[in-house]
Amino acid sequence: MSGIQSKFVRSFWIVLALLFAADLVLIIRYAPDERSMGVIQKIFYLHLPVAINTFLACLTTFVASIAYLWQRKGWWDDLAAAAARVAVQLCAVVLATGMIWGRAAWGVWWTWSPRLTFSLILFLLYVVYLVIRSSVEGRERRAVIGSVYAIIAFLDVPLVWLSARLLPDIHPGSVQLEPAMKLTLAASFVPVTLLAVGLIFTRFVLNRTDSVPRNSAQANAPRDVRTMPLIAGVKAIRYTDGAL
Amino acid sequence: MPLVAQQFLLLVGKDLKIEARSRQTIGLVTVLGLLIVVVLGLGLGGGAAGGFGATVVLWVAYLFSGVLCFEKTMAVERSESALAALMLTPISHGTLFLAKLTSNLALMAAVALVITPAGVLFFSFDLSAAPFTFAAVMSLGIIGFAAIGTLFAAVVSSTRLQGGLLAMMIFPVALPLVIASTQLLIHQFRDQLPVGGMGLGVLVAFDAIFLTASWLMFELVLEP
Repeated sequence: MSGIQSKFVRSFWIVLALLFAADLVLIIRYAPDERSMGVIQKIFYLHLPVAINTFLACLTTFVASIAYLWQRKGWWDDLAAAAARVAVQLCAVVLATGMIWGRAAWGVWWTWSPRLTFSLILFLLYVVYLVIRSSVEGRERRAVIGSVYAIIAFLDVPLVWLSARLLPDIHPGSVQLEPAMKLTLAASFVPVTLLAVGLIFTRFVLNRTDSVPRNSAQANAPRDVRTMPLIAGVKAIRYTDGAL
Repeated sequence: MPLVAQQFLLLVGKDLKIEARSRQTIGLVTVLGLLIVVVLGLGLGGGAAGGFGATVVLWVAYLFSGVLCFEKTMAVERSESALAALMLTPISHGTLFLAKLTSNLALMAAVALVITPAGVLFFSFDLSAAPFTFAAVMSLGIIGFAAIGTLFAAVVSSTRLQGGLLAMMIFPVALPLVIASTQLLIHQFRDQLPVGGMGLGVLVAFDAIFLTASWLMFELVLEP
């Protein structure tokens, strides 16, 4: 990474930290407490933007997977893997904040309500995607299998949502927000979305550096260098056989 | 008869003939399904949830039996590079998928014909109110399940992945089927409500989406 690029990355994270701090001030000082739930309702300002960004990360994985199968360019697969990893991380935050809210609102850490069930299944779908990727050998094969699974998983998302709605629900149907609450919620989307983009980009760069040099080194290596250990092994066996 | 239909029938006939002669899959899978129903029946104490527990228990049995069934039918193609030979023939991969899916569905139907009465009997689940609804909901569920199972079995068989991974791939994707069919049956049999359009819509949509997607993507994952 060049000097200008690393300076840009550093400034990005510093600005993001400042935005998060400003958002925290808005949530604590500016947004009023909700009448029935009190201060615990403020977790909503983190919960909703993270949930929306989880979906956007899943969408990125889906689009990148289709693009990989279409063009067979490795960087699409690296982007899909990066977005899926971030989707899992964000979904874990959604689940954790949802559970904390559930504990405060209904007195239980977990209930099989449609939204919690949907988040859990979404989390499982993308955890499985990451596990599959780590289990398949061969970069190209891993990319194809990962892409196929990512497409199937994303096509499953609306069906999971619709089927989960058949379960009995205790969530509020719609939430009425005061103008100050709406403004705080809108402001919370900015740092959370930037964080998701930053995490996906960082992971994408890591994936690229992980895959490109190794592949190019293998591709550029002379044939005799790559087969040398094998030839040496065969010669050693022949020598041993002769000696015996 | 069109050439594609002839090829399709030939492939399905081949799979079923192999199974009829060896009886390797059907016996194993049926016994596994029955054992699951018995173990869960004992664990839940028989008539759990007023017999409606049978729907969930049956789904658990279908899922595990199905995974083993898909794995076995694809493993047959792996022996002595049969799949490589099959891929050399002028048969489209779409036809290969449809034939494999039909063979899997035939085996799953045979297994379900044994497991389902056992589950209904052990859990005292009274089907008399709407036996056809029960059959239709379960059949729709099994079709969608077989579609993704056939695709993922081809994925797993083309790699050196462990068997457990097939279950891991299929189960989360199949969860909408489990939720929709169990909720539909509970609405129908416990609450005495007619089968809702949305639940049935989810099942039909699942089947349509994954039959098409699996058919289109089978070619990508198939490797000799």
